[in-house]
Order: sequence, then C-alpha cells, then structure tokens
Amino acid sequence: MNRLEVLKKLETILEQFIAGVLKSETTRIAAHKSIDALDDIARDSLRGRRIHARLGNWLARSDIAHKKDRLTGADIDRIGNLFREIQSGFDPSDPEARKLDNEIRRWRESGVVPKRKLVLKMQTPVPSINTAAGFSELMKQESAYLADESERNPHLLSILDDALKSAAAKDDKMYLHLAGAIVYFLKINGYKVGPYAKRLREIEQARMGVEHVA
Amino acid sequence: MLPDIEKSYYKALVALQNDDYVTASGYFKNAENLVAEDDDLRILREATDLLVAVRNEIAELEKSKGNGDR
Repeated sequence: MNRLEVLKKLETILEQFIAGVLKSETTRIAAHKSIDALDDIARDSLRGRRIHARLGNWLARSDIAHKKDRLTGADIDRIGNLFREIQSGFDPSDPEARKLDNEIRRWRESGVVPKRKLVLKMQTPVPSINTAAGFSELMKQESAYLADESERNPHLLSILDDALKSAAAKDDKMYLHLAGAIVYFLKINGYKVGPYAKRLREIEQARMGVEHVA
Repeated sequence: MLPDIEKSYYKALVALQNDDYVTASGYFKNAENLVAEDDDLRILREATDLLVAVRNEIAELEKSKGNGDR
C-alpha cells in the first residue's frame, strides 16, 4: 500500500468516525441548531430588524413542549433568556408582535420555559458620610443582590437583563451601577456587549433627562 | 444572546453535518475553550483537524502525481 492509499484509507476512517459521532448526537445537534437559529433572531431583534415571520416559524417548527424531555436544563434556560431578549424589543402597538408575545407567554405559563419572577425591593438609603463609604455600601448592596439573583438564575446575562429592566423602572442607582459593572466585566472577558451597553446608555440618558427636569 | 464561543461550537457541528470539515475546523478553533472542557468534543475536534490535514496531503500528492504524469 503506497502513501496515497494509506492516506485515503485514513480519510475514509475519519469520515466514518465523524459521521458516527454526529449520528449518535442527532438530538443534541438538532437542539443546538434550533437555539442557534433563535439566537440569530434575538440578535436581529436587538438590531431593530423585523423578526416576526422568522420567530413565528421558529415557534411553529420547534415544538419544544414535546421535545422538552430531550433538552438539557441549560438549553431550556438559554431559550428562556433568548425569549426574554426578543420580548424586550416587541412593539406593544403592533398586533403581530402582541400575538407572538402571547405565544411566548403561553409557553411560559405552561412551564415549557421558565417563568420570570418579579422581585420588588425597597430602596435602601445609601449613607452619604463620604464617597468611599458610600461606594463600599453600594458594593455590599450589589453583592447581596447578586447572591440573591444567582440562587434562582446562574446566568450573568439574565441577571444583567433584570438589572437593566430594574434600572429603567426604579429610582435606585444601584441597578444602573450594577448593570454597568456587569457590562464591563463581560466586555473585558471577550463577550460582545454592544446591545446591552446601548440599553444602559439609553436608560442613563433617560434618567439624566428626568433629573434635569426635576 | 449566546456567547460567541457557544455559537462557534453550534456552527462547527452544523458544518460537520454538511461535510464542510474546513469550516468546522475553523469554528472549533473559535470555540477552543469550550471544546477543551469536554473529552468527546475534543476528540471530535481533533478528528476534524486530522481529516482536514489528511485531505490537504492527499490533494498535494495527487497534484504532484498529476504533474509527474505530464
């Protein structure tokens, strides 16, 4: 057997090995493809593109309710987080968006993907003895908030999403600072944080506008 | 959104399903940290890289054989 024949035999063996691995992982790969497609939809949604038809097709095709047993808990969490990101970009005045929003809510209600818990917390007054003490107190509050959030959701992106929503809704600067700290942490660890940084800037600008008016 | 490393891993698997081993090898490289944590994935990645290398070698040999025949 010459060198070329040996290499061709090795090529065949490797192709068969890879095909065998893929065959044994068909379900897992199908789930990954589906999540990847949903992530593409979420990314386009954050870029302001219209994703209704693609999301509708994804919801119709995926039928996760019947495949749930074959998905890992992490996969279901990923889908839940992506839904949350997509929902945050829906225009409530758009009937098609409302329909899709309702469909996602129906999935959450039926337990297909995890529901979000709304945790309301009373704002803790920050003692203003001096800047260092104020900062130290803020870090303690953030640490307690993170510990609490991590118990129910270990994904930092979900915690960031919640912090941004709280920053937009509540008059507590802790959420704004925490969101900024998480965005920077993710950035220096190689994550693309553009859409989150944009949301943070918009919230900050809206708050500054309110403060200037006041 | 999913971290880029996870997306690269997903895309590597899709490329493998399409028998596009060169593309898969590139995506596996992008997902190196994730792949390194899982023995099965590491073997799949190494098999893919080896297959790409073997195919390149076959192409070189066939090319030189073709040149020699002329």
